Amino acid sequence: MKVLAAGVVPLLLVLHWKHGAGSPLPITPVNATCATRHPCHSNLMNQIRNQLAQLNGSANALFILYYTAQGEPFPNNLDKLCGPNVTDFPPFHANSTEKTRLVELYRIIAYLGASLGNITRDQKVLNPNALSLHSKLNATADIMRGLLSNVLCRLCSKYHVAHVDVAYGPDTSGKDVFQKKKLGCQLLGKYKQVIAVVAQAF
Amino acid sequence: MLTLKIWIVQALFIFFTTESVGELLDPCGYIKPESPIVQLGSNFTAVCVLKEKCMDYFHVNANYIFWKTNHVTIPKEQYTIINKTASSVTFTDISLLNIQLTCNIRTFGQIDQNVYGIRIISGLPPEKPTNLSCIVNEGKKMMCQWDPGRETYLETNFTLKSEWATEKFADCKTKRDTPTSCTVDYSPVYFVNIEVWVEAENALGKVTSDHINFDPVDKVKPSPPHNLSVSNSEELSSILKLTWINSSIQGFIGLKYNIQYRTRDASTWSQIPPEDTASTRYSFTVQDLKPFTEYVFRIRCMKEDGKGFWSDWSEEASGITYEDRPSKAPSFWYKIEPSHTHGYRSVQLIWKTLPPFEANGKILDYEVTLTRWKSRLQNYTVNDTKWTVNITNDRYIATLTARNLVGKSNAAVLTIPAYDFQGNLAESKCYLITVTPVYADGPGSTESIKAYLKQAPPSKGPTVRTKKVGKNEAVLEWDQLPVDVQNGFIRNYTIFYRTIIGNETAVNVDSSHTEYTLSSLTSDTLYMVRMAAYTDEGGKDGPEFTFTTPKFAQGEIEAIVVPVCLAFLLTTLLGVLFCFNKRDLIKKHIWPNVPDPSKSHIAQWSPHTPPRHNFNSKDQMYSDGNFTDVSVVEIEAANDKKPFPEDLKSLDLFKKEKISTEGHSSGIGGSSCMSSSRPSISSSDENESAQNTSGTVQYSTVVHSGYRHQVPSVQVFSRSESTQPLLDSEERPEDLQLVDNIDSSVGNLPRQQYFKQNCSQHETSPDISHFERSKQVSSVNEEDFVRLKQQISDISQPYGSGQMKMFQEISVADAFGPRTEGQVERFETVGMEAAIDEGMPKSYLPQTVRRGGYMPQ
Repeated sequence: MKVLAAGVVPLLLVLHWKHGAGSPLPITPVNATCATRHPCHSNLMNQIRNQLAQLNGSANALFILYYTAQGEPFPNNLDKLCGPNVTDFPPFHANSTEKTRLVELYRIIAYLGASLGNITRDQKVLNPNALSLHSKLNATADIMRGLLSNVLCRLCSKYHVAHVDVAYGPDTSGKDVFQKKKLGCQLLGKYKQVIAVVAQAF
Repeated sequence: MLTLKIWIVQALFIFFTTESVGELLDPCGYIKPESPIVQLGSNFTAVCVLKEKCMDYFHVNANYIFWKTNHVTIPKEQYTIINKTASSVTFTDISLLNIQLTCNIRTFGQIDQNVYGIRIISGLPPEKPTNLSCIVNEGKKMMCQWDPGRETYLETNFTLKSEWATEKFADCKTKRDTPTSCTVDYSPVYFVNIEVWVEAENALGKVTSDHINFDPVDKVKPSPPHNLSVSNSEELSSILKLTWINSSIQGFIGLKYNIQYRTRDASTWSQIPPEDTASTRYSFTVQDLKPFTEYVFRIRCMKEDGKGFWSDWSEEASGITYEDRPSKAPSFWYKIEPSHTHGYRSVQLIWKTLPPFEANGKILDYEVTLTRWKSRLQNYTVNDTKWTVNITNDRYIATLTARNLVGKSNAAVLTIPAYDFQGNLAESKCYLITVTPVYADGPGSTESIKAYLKQAPPSKGPTVRTKKVGKNEAVLEWDQLPVDVQNGFIRNYTIFYRTIIGNETAVNVDSSHTEYTLSSLTSDTLYMVRMAAYTDEGGKDGPEFTFTTPKFAQGEIEAIVVPVCLAFLLTTLLGVLFCFNKRDLIKKHIWPNVPDPSKSHIAQWSPHTPPRHNFNSKDQMYSDGNFTDVSVVEIEAANDKKPFPEDLKSLDLFKKEKISTEGHSSGIGGSSCMSSSRPSISSSDENESAQNTSGTVQYSTVVHSGYRHQVPSVQVFSRSESTQPLLDSEERPEDLQLVDNIDSSVGNLPRQQYFKQNCSQHETSPDISHFERSKQVSSVNEEDFVRLKQQISDISQPYGSGQMKMFQEISVADAFGPRTEGQVERFETVGMEAAIDEGMPKSYLPQTVRRGGYMPQ
């Protein structure tokens, strides 16, 4: 029996081996079908790089626009109020494989997208006249949406990854105004910091 | 309860009212289909069904139905009675878009009553939308447009659909006024490919366009650069620097630009070479501009790789280049006004301002200088454009320069003539009269004309010469007369030419020419030509010029000589080839091989020297290759039979005669050689005589005759009938030995080969004629030939033609004096040479050649 196992198991491994097999995959492929509406474009990685550059190029302006729009005490207490102290932010490993980096990027962008949605919602209430900020937040959210689409397309078409578990930040709807502003500022500070690293990694 | 009653009453009222109204409005029938929409060009059938009640009431059935379209009755041929209550009408190829169709019955024979009516709407299904394209105006949402195809005549809805690979966007419904374009509701997201297509749908069908897939960033139309500004440079008056602010899209895509400029008053734009502005930038320096000129600029941009659309043009911005020194001096002139002061006059200098493109800046002032003959110049600075000065009546030279912030222009120079300049015009002198109009704003264009006060004939005629002389023509050329000698306007030239003896011919030539070709000249003739120039007042002849026409035209001699030379060369070549091919034949007839007498061995012919007989070695005997024409007697009889005794005798006698002929010689031995073949012939003759007259020998006498008609100066030896016995030959056993050797050698093969080899060189029939011609030499010779012929007939019968050759050679050597003398002379040398080395051949060959080779001494 041992002999049989010793011969069959490697054979099965070989027969069922495919790209990605054998490596830890931090995703949950729960019967997910990797189907897209139409074939993904071949230039996806280049587009992802351009999107990251686009986000990186506007992140600082968004951050400034945000804390400026919040008024005092934010502009003068950036370190205290807007430090990138986001504890549950998804990790990113710049030196990992492309697949891992894409999965981590997907989690980060999903996290940031959700958080930007909260910030946008809050700012429309807290600073209804900060149209420039609203516009910038919306534009950034749109870019992130496109980035998610491209990353998913890449994961699906090349690595057959159809589903990635993601985590989101805290819901700010129940918090007070200052906390909303502070959490938003911290998130955008973190975003500015992370996106530079991620853009450099691709 | 009351309420219930009221409600019931109301309900009944409504019910009955409705019923009664329904009765009143209830049609007598109906048409199916109710609201048809049909395709143009298709067939359509409508059915009208009558109600029973109506039929009973009006006493009609389906036969009473008639159809109308737009109030016009349809022919009954299109009707079909389906049953008692239903009638149909069919339309083929519907072309009208909107048809009102009614079903009618005729009641009581005269009343037409409308039963039911419908409206037929016709149109076309939508065509597939084509040319779908999208544009993303920066900062705005994406707009797509397409070609909807043909008109459908129906309400057609176009829907723009779009999606990413991972999600679908909301449809974009076209507005009624813009059915061929649609602007999506969402903001464009760059660097994500989107797929877009259009659906067109109406009552007759739905169709989808081709899908297009693109990255919106490749369809972007950027916002134009803004805040365009222009600045100049004090260092360089030909440049302007543009600066601008790019649109925000420059943050993540590269841009390229078009920059256009024009002067303020120009209507067309010039463009900076696109390759100079092919990457993102914020400024550009335009060069090669005119100084102190205002330029207007505009700029636009697009994605660097050329994908997408050019932005709109930016707002125009203008700037003025810095000043430069005036590029041209101002035009100026003068007015002389009479002055009351004696010896002076008032001169007003006037000039006009430089145009901006020449002033190159703001003219600050003008500098005027006046210089009188041999005096110092005087400088004046003038701010106006005119200046009056009192000057003497002398001649002055005035200069004018304009000055701006950068520098001065070049100087314009004007001569103010002396006051007494008028009159003094000479006759026969050419004057150039120039008129310059002076307008209020400056001088106009000048006009000049040449004029004479009075013309005269030229003082000198033109000198003609030949430019080229041909066999029948000559090209003459001459120079225009200098103005000084013209004395008037040269109207025409006349060329006179003649030969020494001929009449003079004149040819008129227009004055504008300086060359003329005389034709129809006679070759190899001396011509004299002269030329006259004419003004209105007369003409003047120039010097006479002579030339001779050549005898031959150029190339004519070559045309004759070359073919002749070629023909001669060809002939020579053919002759050489012919001679080369026929060299043996020619050699035989012209330079036959002659034995060299100097190589003969006289001692062998001496009676005291026994000859050596060696017939066995042909190679030894005729080792000399030139020895080719030796004639020998080929005796092949030895192969088949023994030689006749007569033959042997004749050989014996032959030897005797040889010795006897030596007696005729004068003692140098050469005479013995001169007997040549004649003794052999004689010996053959002796064959017969020997049988009858033994002990007698016929002596031969050499018949003297010239070679080739040459007259020899020596005695001729002729045949002798002397019967004097040849004692030597009887006493010499060597001769007998010779006969023996011959006998023995006859049967030897080498000897036969030798003979054949020699015979092969004489297989020509003309030798036979020579043989016959020998009869004409003398009667004595005739006798020889009689015998010879007899021997030929005896020998040739069994031995064939090879023996004939042998006899021919004999005859040549013996009898044909005039023809073979030269040949014999040549044999003489060769034969002597052979005789030194050999035995028997030496004794034989000199006999062949001796006759012609040695002259009697």
